[in-house]
Amino acid sequence: MIEITINDIPLKVEKGTTILHAAQANGIDIPTLCNHEGLTLDGNCRLCSVEIEDMGNKKIVASCMFPITRNISVETETERVRRARNTVLQLLVNRNPKAPIIQQLCAKYGVDREERFALEPDLCIRCGRCVRACEAGGTKAIELVGRGFDRHVAPPYELETDACIGCLSCATVCPTGKITYEETPGKRKIWYKEFDVLQCKRCGIYFATKEMLDWAGRPENDRDHCNHCQKYIESVKFLTESQKK
Amino acid sequence: MGEIDRIAEILHKHRQDPRYLLAILLDIQESENYISIEAMRTVAEHLGISESRVFAVVTFYRALSQKKKGRRIIRVCTGTACHLRGSAAVLQELEKQLAIKTGGVTEDGEYTLETVNCVGACALAPVVTSGENSFGRMGPSKAAELLAEGAFA
Repeated sequence: MIEITINDIPLKVEKGTTILHAAQANGIDIPTLCNHEGLTLDGNCRLCSVEIEDMGNKKIVASCMFPITRNISVETETERVRRARNTVLQLLVNRNPKAPIIQQLCAKYGVDREERFALEPDLCIRCGRCVRACEAGGTKAIELVGRGFDRHVAPPYELETDACIGCLSCATVCPTGKITYEETPGKRKIWYKEFDVLQCKRCGIYFATKEMLDWAGRPENDRDHCNHCQKYIESVKFLTESQKK
Repeated sequence: MGEIDRIAEILHKHRQDPRYLLAILLDIQESENYISIEAMRTVAEHLGISESRVFAVVTFYRALSQKKKGRRIIRVCTGTACHLRGSAAVLQELEKQLAIKTGGVTEDGEYTLETVNCVGACALAPVVTSGENSFGRMGPSKAAELLAEGAFA
Protein backbone atom coordinates (compact mmCIF):
# COMPACT_ATOMS: atom_id res chain seq x y z
CA MET A 1 0.00 0.00 0.00
CA ILE A 2 1.14 3.49 -0.82
CA GLU A 3 0.31 6.58 1.17
CA ILE A 4 -0.79 9.57 -0.84
CA THR A 5 -2.81 12.68 -0.29
CA ILE A 6 -5.58 14.01 -2.50
CA ASN A 7 -6.63 17.57 -1.64
CA ASP A 8 -4.73 17.10 1.66
CA ILE A 9 -6.82 14.02 2.55
CA PRO A 10 -4.43 11.17 3.45
CA LEU A 11 -5.25 7.92 1.63
CA LYS A 12 -3.75 4.47 1.31
CA VAL A 13 -3.96 2.93 -2.14
CA GLU A 14 -2.82 -0.21 -3.89
CA LYS A 15 0.27 0.27 -6.07
CA GLY A 16 -0.74 0.89 -9.69
CA THR A 17 -4.14 2.40 -8.89
CA THR A 18 -4.81 5.40 -11.09
CA ILE A 19 -5.31 8.78 -9.46
CA LEU A 20 -8.81 8.90 -10.90
CA HIS A 21 -9.77 5.57 -9.34
CA ALA A 22 -8.33 6.55 -5.97
CA ALA A 23 -10.22 9.83 -6.07
CA GLN A 24 -13.52 8.30 -7.16
CA ALA A 25 -13.27 5.57 -4.53
CA ASN A 26 -12.98 8.30 -1.90
CA GLY A 27 -15.75 10.50 -3.16
CA ILE A 28 -13.53 13.16 -4.74
CA ASP A 29 -15.04 14.47 -7.94
CA ILE A 30 -12.90 14.65 -11.08
CA PRO A 31 -14.70 15.31 -14.38
CA THR A 32 -14.08 12.86 -17.25
CA LEU A 33 -15.29 12.34 -20.79
CA CYS A 34 -13.18 9.79 -22.62
CA ASN A 35 -12.80 7.54 -19.60
CA HIS A 36 -15.10 4.54 -19.27
CA GLU A 37 -14.63 1.86 -16.66
CA GLY A 38 -15.20 -1.02 -19.07
CA LEU A 39 -12.78 0.22 -21.72
CA THR A 40 -9.06 0.58 -22.21
CA LEU A 41 -7.52 3.85 -21.03
CA ASP A 42 -6.83 6.46 -23.65
CA GLY A 43 -6.38 9.78 -21.88
CA ASN A 44 -7.28 11.87 -24.89
CA CYS A 45 -9.86 14.32 -23.53
CA ARG A 46 -7.57 15.78 -20.81
CA LEU A 47 -10.57 16.85 -18.79
CA CYS A 48 -9.43 14.83 -15.78
CA SER A 49 -6.22 16.84 -15.43
CA VAL A 50 -4.96 17.22 -11.87
CA GLU A 51 -1.84 18.73 -10.39
CA ILE A 52 0.54 16.40 -8.60
CA GLU A 53 3.64 16.96 -6.55
CA ASP A 54 6.07 14.13 -7.15
CA MET A 55 9.48 14.32 -5.44
CA GLY A 56 9.29 18.10 -5.29
CA ASN A 57 8.14 18.59 -8.88
CA LYS A 58 4.69 19.93 -9.58
CA LYS A 59 3.04 19.00 -12.83
CA ILE A 60 -0.31 18.56 -14.54
CA VAL A 61 -1.18 14.97 -15.42
CA ALA A 62 -4.22 13.15 -16.79
CA SER A 63 -5.48 11.44 -13.64
CA CYS A 64 -7.18 8.59 -15.54
CA MET A 65 -3.84 7.45 -16.99
CA PHE A 66 -1.54 8.08 -14.02
CA PRO A 67 -0.73 4.96 -11.99
CA ILE A 68 0.30 5.67 -8.41
CA THR A 69 3.67 4.05 -7.75
CA ARG A 70 5.08 6.22 -4.95
CA ASN A 71 4.11 8.85 -2.43
CA ILE A 72 2.63 11.81 -4.27
CA SER A 73 0.29 14.58 -3.31
CA VAL A 74 -2.56 15.37 -5.64
CA GLU A 75 -4.56 18.57 -5.93
CA THR A 76 -7.74 18.57 -8.01
CA GLU A 77 -8.79 22.21 -7.73
CA THR A 78 -5.71 24.42 -8.01
CA GLU A 79 -5.63 27.49 -10.24
CA ARG A 80 -3.44 25.60 -12.71
CA VAL A 81 -5.90 22.70 -12.86
CA ARG A 82 -8.78 25.09 -13.37
CA ARG A 83 -6.97 26.79 -16.24
CA ALA A 84 -6.13 23.52 -17.94
CA ARG A 85 -9.64 22.16 -17.51
CA ASN A 86 -11.33 25.36 -18.65
CA THR A 87 -9.20 25.51 -21.79
CA VAL A 88 -10.23 21.95 -22.63
CA LEU A 89 -13.88 22.79 -22.03
CA GLN A 90 -13.62 26.02 -24.01
CA LEU A 91 -12.29 24.11 -27.03
CA LEU A 92 -14.89 21.37 -26.66
CA VAL A 93 -17.81 23.75 -26.34
CA ASN A 94 -16.65 25.62 -29.41
CA ARG A 95 -16.81 22.62 -31.65
CA ASN A 96 -19.67 20.87 -29.85
CA PRO A 97 -21.92 23.64 -28.49
CA LYS A 98 -25.02 21.44 -28.49
CA ALA A 99 -23.68 18.41 -26.64
CA PRO A 100 -25.65 18.21 -23.37
CA ILE A 101 -22.79 16.81 -21.31
CA ILE A 102 -20.47 19.58 -22.41
CA GLN A 103 -23.08 22.23 -21.65
CA GLN A 104 -23.47 20.71 -18.18
CA LEU A 105 -19.73 20.67 -17.56
CA CYS A 106 -19.39 24.26 -18.76
CA ALA A 107 -22.15 25.34 -16.42
CA LYS A 108 -20.58 23.45 -13.54
CA TYR A 109 -17.13 24.94 -14.03
CA GLY A 110 -18.25 28.38 -15.11
CA VAL A 111 -17.00 28.30 -18.69
CA ASP A 112 -18.68 30.74 -21.08
CA ARG A 113 -18.32 30.01 -24.74
CA GLU A 114 -16.10 32.51 -26.56
CA GLU A 115 -16.50 31.89 -30.23
CA ARG A 116 -13.13 30.79 -31.61
CA PHE A 117 -13.44 29.14 -34.96
CA ALA A 118 -16.04 28.92 -37.65
CA LEU A 119 -16.58 25.20 -37.72
CA GLU A 120 -19.71 23.23 -38.33
CA PRO A 121 -21.18 22.45 -34.91
CA ASP A 122 -20.68 18.79 -34.14
CA LEU A 123 -21.51 16.37 -31.39
CA CYS A 124 -18.49 14.09 -31.74
CA ILE A 125 -15.55 14.95 -29.49
CA ARG A 126 -13.30 12.25 -31.00
CA CYS A 127 -12.81 10.55 -27.64
CA GLY A 128 -12.83 7.16 -29.34
CA ARG A 129 -15.00 5.50 -26.71
CA CYS A 130 -17.11 3.92 -29.44
CA VAL A 131 -14.03 2.60 -31.20
CA ARG A 132 -12.69 1.14 -27.98
CA ALA A 133 -16.07 -0.41 -27.16
CA CYS A 134 -16.22 -2.04 -30.59
CA GLU A 135 -12.68 -3.31 -30.12
CA ALA A 136 -13.46 -4.63 -26.63
CA GLY A 137 -16.35 -6.61 -28.08
CA GLY A 138 -13.92 -8.05 -30.62
CA THR A 139 -15.86 -6.89 -33.66
CA LYS A 140 -13.59 -3.95 -34.60
CA ALA A 141 -16.13 -2.62 -37.07
CA ILE A 142 -15.46 1.11 -36.63
CA GLU A 143 -12.39 3.31 -36.39
CA LEU A 144 -11.42 6.95 -36.25
CA VAL A 145 -10.60 7.75 -39.86
CA GLY A 146 -9.10 10.74 -41.63
CA ARG A 147 -7.09 13.39 -39.86
CA GLY A 148 -7.34 16.92 -38.57
CA PHE A 149 -10.75 18.54 -38.91
CA ASP A 150 -11.92 15.66 -41.10
CA ARG A 151 -11.31 13.03 -38.45
CA HIS A 152 -14.46 11.10 -37.71
CA VAL A 153 -15.71 7.67 -36.78
CA ALA A 154 -16.67 5.36 -39.61
CA PRO A 155 -16.88 1.72 -40.63
CA PRO A 156 -14.38 0.56 -43.28
CA TYR A 157 -14.78 2.40 -46.63
CA GLU A 158 -17.76 4.32 -45.14
CA LEU A 159 -19.96 1.42 -46.21
CA GLU A 160 -21.92 -1.23 -44.41
CA THR A 161 -19.63 -3.92 -43.12
CA ASP A 162 -19.87 -7.59 -42.22
CA ALA A 163 -17.89 -6.80 -39.08
CA CYS A 164 -20.74 -4.80 -37.50
CA ILE A 165 -23.19 -6.97 -35.56
CA GLY A 166 -25.58 -4.16 -34.59
CA CYS A 167 -24.95 -4.50 -30.85
CA LEU A 168 -25.18 -0.73 -30.20
CA SER A 169 -22.17 -0.77 -27.85
CA CYS A 170 -20.80 2.27 -29.67
CA ALA A 171 -24.02 4.25 -29.21
CA THR A 172 -24.26 3.16 -25.58
CA VAL A 173 -20.83 4.45 -24.58
CA CYS A 174 -20.93 7.66 -26.64
CA PRO A 175 -20.82 10.50 -24.08
CA THR A 176 -22.39 13.14 -26.30
CA GLY A 177 -25.10 11.28 -28.19
CA LYS A 178 -23.41 11.63 -31.57
CA ILE A 179 -23.93 8.02 -32.56
CA THR A 180 -27.53 7.46 -33.46
CA TYR A 181 -29.48 4.55 -34.86
CA GLU A 182 -32.97 3.81 -36.05
CA GLU A 183 -35.00 1.24 -34.23
CA THR A 184 -38.44 0.03 -35.22
CA PRO A 185 -40.03 -3.22 -33.99
CA GLY A 186 -37.94 -6.00 -35.50
CA LYS A 187 -35.58 -3.71 -37.41
CA ARG A 188 -32.47 -1.77 -36.50
CA LYS A 189 -30.31 0.47 -38.62
CA ILE A 190 -26.83 1.63 -37.66
CA TRP A 191 -23.64 2.38 -39.62
CA TYR A 192 -25.45 2.10 -42.97
CA LYS A 193 -26.50 -1.45 -42.18
CA GLU A 194 -29.92 -2.88 -41.51
CA PHE A 195 -30.49 -5.67 -39.01
CA ASP A 196 -33.36 -7.95 -38.12
CA VAL A 197 -33.98 -7.91 -34.39
CA LEU A 198 -35.31 -11.13 -32.87
CA GLN A 199 -38.29 -11.08 -30.57
CA CYS A 200 -38.43 -13.10 -27.37
CA LYS A 201 -41.24 -15.63 -27.65
CA ARG A 202 -42.00 -15.43 -23.94
CA CYS A 203 -41.87 -11.76 -22.92
CA GLY A 204 -42.08 -10.19 -26.35
CA ILE A 205 -39.11 -7.79 -26.15
CA TYR A 206 -36.81 -7.37 -29.13
CA PHE A 207 -33.60 -8.61 -27.60
CA ALA A 208 -30.81 -9.13 -30.11
CA THR A 209 -29.87 -9.13 -33.75
CA LYS A 210 -29.19 -12.37 -35.56
CA GLU A 211 -25.60 -11.20 -36.07
CA MET A 212 -25.11 -10.70 -32.32
CA LEU A 213 -26.18 -14.27 -31.60
CA ASP A 214 -23.97 -15.55 -34.43
CA TRP A 215 -21.07 -13.65 -32.86
CA ALA A 216 -21.88 -15.08 -29.41
CA GLY A 217 -22.02 -18.56 -30.91
CA ARG A 218 -25.59 -19.24 -29.81
CA PRO A 219 -26.95 -22.27 -31.74
CA GLU A 220 -29.51 -21.55 -34.47
CA ASN A 221 -32.15 -23.74 -32.76
CA ASP A 222 -31.81 -21.87 -29.45
CA ARG A 223 -32.78 -18.32 -30.31
CA ASP A 224 -36.37 -18.04 -29.16
CA HIS A 225 -35.88 -16.31 -25.83
CA CYS A 226 -34.07 -13.31 -24.38
CA ASN A 227 -31.46 -13.81 -21.68
CA HIS A 228 -33.86 -13.24 -18.79
CA CYS A 229 -36.51 -15.62 -20.09
CA GLN A 230 -33.86 -18.17 -21.01
CA LYS A 231 -32.66 -18.15 -17.40
CA TYR A 232 -36.22 -18.36 -16.12
CA ILE A 233 -37.08 -21.31 -18.36
CA GLU A 234 -33.94 -23.16 -17.40
CA SER A 235 -34.44 -22.60 -13.68
CA VAL A 236 -38.05 -23.80 -13.87
CA LYS A 237 -36.85 -26.86 -15.74
CA PHE A 238 -34.16 -27.49 -13.12
CA LEU A 239 -36.60 -27.13 -10.23
CA THR A 240 -39.27 -29.45 -11.66
CA GLU A 241 -36.65 -32.05 -12.44
CA SER A 242 -35.14 -31.93 -8.97
CA GLN A 243 -38.64 -32.18 -7.42
CA LYS A 244 -39.28 -35.35 -9.39
CA LYS A 245 -36.21 -36.89 -7.82
CA MET B 1 0.33 -9.26 -64.41
CA GLY B 2 -2.87 -7.89 -62.90
CA GLU B 3 -3.39 -5.85 -59.77
CA ILE B 4 -4.14 -8.94 -57.69
CA ASP B 5 -0.87 -10.60 -58.66
CA ARG B 6 1.17 -7.47 -58.05
CA ILE B 7 -0.38 -7.08 -54.59
CA ALA B 8 0.25 -10.74 -53.84
CA GLU B 9 3.89 -10.20 -54.74
CA ILE B 10 4.12 -7.15 -52.45
CA LEU B 11 2.56 -9.11 -49.58
CA HIS B 12 5.04 -11.92 -50.18
CA LYS B 13 7.94 -9.46 -49.96
CA HIS B 14 7.09 -8.37 -46.41
CA ARG B 15 6.90 -10.35 -43.22
CA GLN B 16 3.37 -11.36 -42.29
CA ASP B 17 3.17 -9.08 -39.26
CA PRO B 18 0.76 -6.20 -38.55
CA ARG B 19 3.64 -3.79 -38.02
CA TYR B 20 4.47 -3.96 -41.73
CA LEU B 21 1.04 -2.57 -42.59
CA LEU B 22 2.28 0.88 -43.55
CA ALA B 23 5.25 -0.47 -45.54
CA ILE B 24 2.91 -2.74 -47.50
CA LEU B 25 0.43 0.07 -48.16
CA LEU B 26 3.21 2.38 -49.39
CA ASP B 27 4.39 -0.31 -51.79
CA ILE B 28 0.86 -0.83 -53.09
CA GLN B 29 0.46 2.92 -53.52
CA GLU B 30 3.66 3.04 -55.53
CA SER B 31 2.74 0.07 -57.70
CA GLU B 32 -0.95 0.90 -58.32
CA ASN B 33 -1.02 4.69 -57.79
CA TYR B 34 -3.90 4.17 -55.38
CA ILE B 35 -5.25 1.71 -52.84
CA SER B 36 -8.46 0.03 -53.81
CA ILE B 37 -11.03 -1.41 -51.43
CA GLU B 38 -10.10 -4.88 -52.69
CA ALA B 39 -6.44 -4.15 -51.87
CA MET B 40 -7.35 -3.04 -48.33
CA ARG B 41 -9.45 -6.19 -47.85
CA THR B 42 -6.60 -8.39 -49.06
CA VAL B 43 -4.07 -6.68 -46.78
CA ALA B 44 -6.35 -6.90 -43.73
CA GLU B 45 -6.93 -10.59 -44.28
CA HIS B 46 -3.24 -11.28 -44.93
CA LEU B 47 -2.10 -9.51 -41.75
CA GLY B 48 -4.98 -10.75 -39.63
CA ILE B 49 -6.13 -7.26 -38.67
CA SER B 50 -9.51 -5.58 -39.04
CA GLU B 51 -10.50 -3.82 -42.24
CA SER B 52 -11.40 -0.76 -40.17
CA ARG B 53 -7.78 -0.57 -38.99
CA VAL B 54 -6.42 -0.67 -42.54
CA PHE B 55 -8.97 1.92 -43.64
CA ALA B 56 -7.99 4.19 -40.74
CA VAL B 57 -4.32 4.05 -41.76
CA VAL B 58 -5.10 4.65 -45.44
CA THR B 59 -7.22 7.71 -44.63
CA PHE B 60 -4.66 9.08 -42.17
CA TYR B 61 -1.59 9.39 -44.38
CA ARG B 62 -1.52 11.79 -47.29
CA ALA B 63 0.99 9.56 -49.05
CA LEU B 64 -1.77 6.98 -49.40
CA SER B 65 -4.64 7.64 -51.75
CA GLN B 66 -7.97 6.00 -52.40
CA LYS B 67 -8.34 7.71 -55.75
CA LYS B 68 -6.14 6.69 -58.63
CA LYS B 69 -3.30 9.17 -59.04
CA GLY B 70 -1.42 10.06 -62.21
CA ARG B 71 1.78 8.23 -63.13
CA ARG B 72 3.77 11.35 -62.31
CA ILE B 73 3.03 13.55 -59.33
CA ILE B 74 3.95 17.22 -59.39
CA ARG B 75 4.06 18.79 -55.98
CA VAL B 76 4.13 22.54 -55.56
CA CYS B 77 5.41 23.71 -52.20
CA THR B 78 3.05 26.18 -50.53
CA GLY B 79 5.07 26.52 -47.33
CA THR B 80 5.72 29.97 -45.88
CA ALA B 81 8.90 30.77 -47.82
CA CYS B 82 7.57 29.40 -51.12
CA HIS B 83 4.27 31.20 -50.61
CA LEU B 84 6.03 34.52 -50.11
CA ARG B 85 8.11 33.96 -53.22
CA GLY B 86 5.08 33.34 -55.39
CA SER B 87 4.27 29.64 -55.34
CA ALA B 88 0.58 30.48 -55.78
CA ALA B 89 1.30 31.82 -59.29
CA VAL B 90 3.31 28.67 -60.11
CA LEU B 91 0.45 26.49 -58.95
CA GLN B 92 -2.07 28.51 -60.94
CA GLU B 93 0.05 28.22 -64.09
CA LEU B 94 0.44 24.46 -63.70
CA GLU B 95 -3.31 24.13 -63.12
CA LYS B 96 -3.86 26.05 -66.36
CA GLN B 97 -1.30 24.05 -68.36
CA LEU B 98 -2.54 20.68 -67.13
CA ALA B 99 -6.18 21.79 -67.23
CA ILE B 100 -6.83 20.32 -63.78
CA LYS B 101 -7.41 21.61 -60.28
CA THR B 102 -5.02 20.90 -57.44
CA GLY B 103 -5.51 17.31 -56.34
CA GLY B 104 -6.83 16.30 -59.77
CA VAL B 105 -5.52 13.93 -62.40
CA THR B 106 -5.06 14.80 -66.08
CA GLU B 107 -7.40 13.08 -68.49
CA ASP B 108 -4.65 10.83 -69.88
CA GLY B 109 -3.75 9.71 -66.33
CA GLU B 110 -0.24 11.07 -66.69
CA TYR B 111 -0.05 13.83 -64.09
CA THR B 112 -1.38 14.55 -60.64
CA LEU B 113 -0.96 18.04 -59.22
CA GLU B 114 -0.62 18.42 -55.48
CA THR B 115 0.54 20.93 -52.93
CA VAL B 116 2.97 20.19 -50.14
CA ASN B 117 3.46 22.25 -47.01
CA CYS B 118 7.26 22.34 -46.89
CA VAL B 119 10.01 20.28 -48.46
CA GLY B 120 12.76 21.78 -46.32
CA ALA B 121 14.48 23.57 -49.19
CA CYS B 122 13.29 27.08 -48.39
CA ALA B 123 16.51 28.65 -49.75
CA LEU B 124 15.40 27.46 -53.19
CA ALA B 125 11.87 28.84 -52.88
CA PRO B 126 9.56 28.46 -54.64
CA VAL B 127 10.13 24.73 -55.02
CA VAL B 128 8.37 22.17 -57.19
CA THR B 129 9.11 18.49 -56.75
CA SER B 130 8.34 15.56 -58.96
CA GLY B 131 9.31 12.01 -58.14
CA GLU B 132 12.88 12.10 -56.83
CA ASN B 133 13.67 15.47 -58.41
CA SER B 134 13.19 18.96 -57.10
CA PHE B 135 13.21 22.20 -59.03
CA GLY B 136 14.07 25.44 -57.26
CA ARG B 137 13.57 29.17 -57.93
CA MET B 138 10.47 28.36 -59.90
CA GLY B 139 8.32 30.86 -61.73
CA PRO B 140 5.15 30.41 -63.77
CA SER B 141 6.90 30.55 -67.15
CA LYS B 142 9.78 28.33 -66.03
CA ALA B 143 7.33 25.78 -64.67
CA ALA B 144 5.39 25.79 -67.96
CA GLU B 145 8.64 25.35 -69.87
CA LEU B 146 9.77 22.41 -67.72
CA LEU B 147 6.36 20.81 -68.10
CA ALA B 148 6.50 21.15 -71.89
CA GLU B 149 9.98 19.59 -71.91
CA GLY B 150 8.65 16.66 -69.88
CA ALA B 151 11.12 17.42 -67.10
CA PHE B 152 8.60 16.57 -64.38
CA ALA B 153 9.17 12.86 -64.42
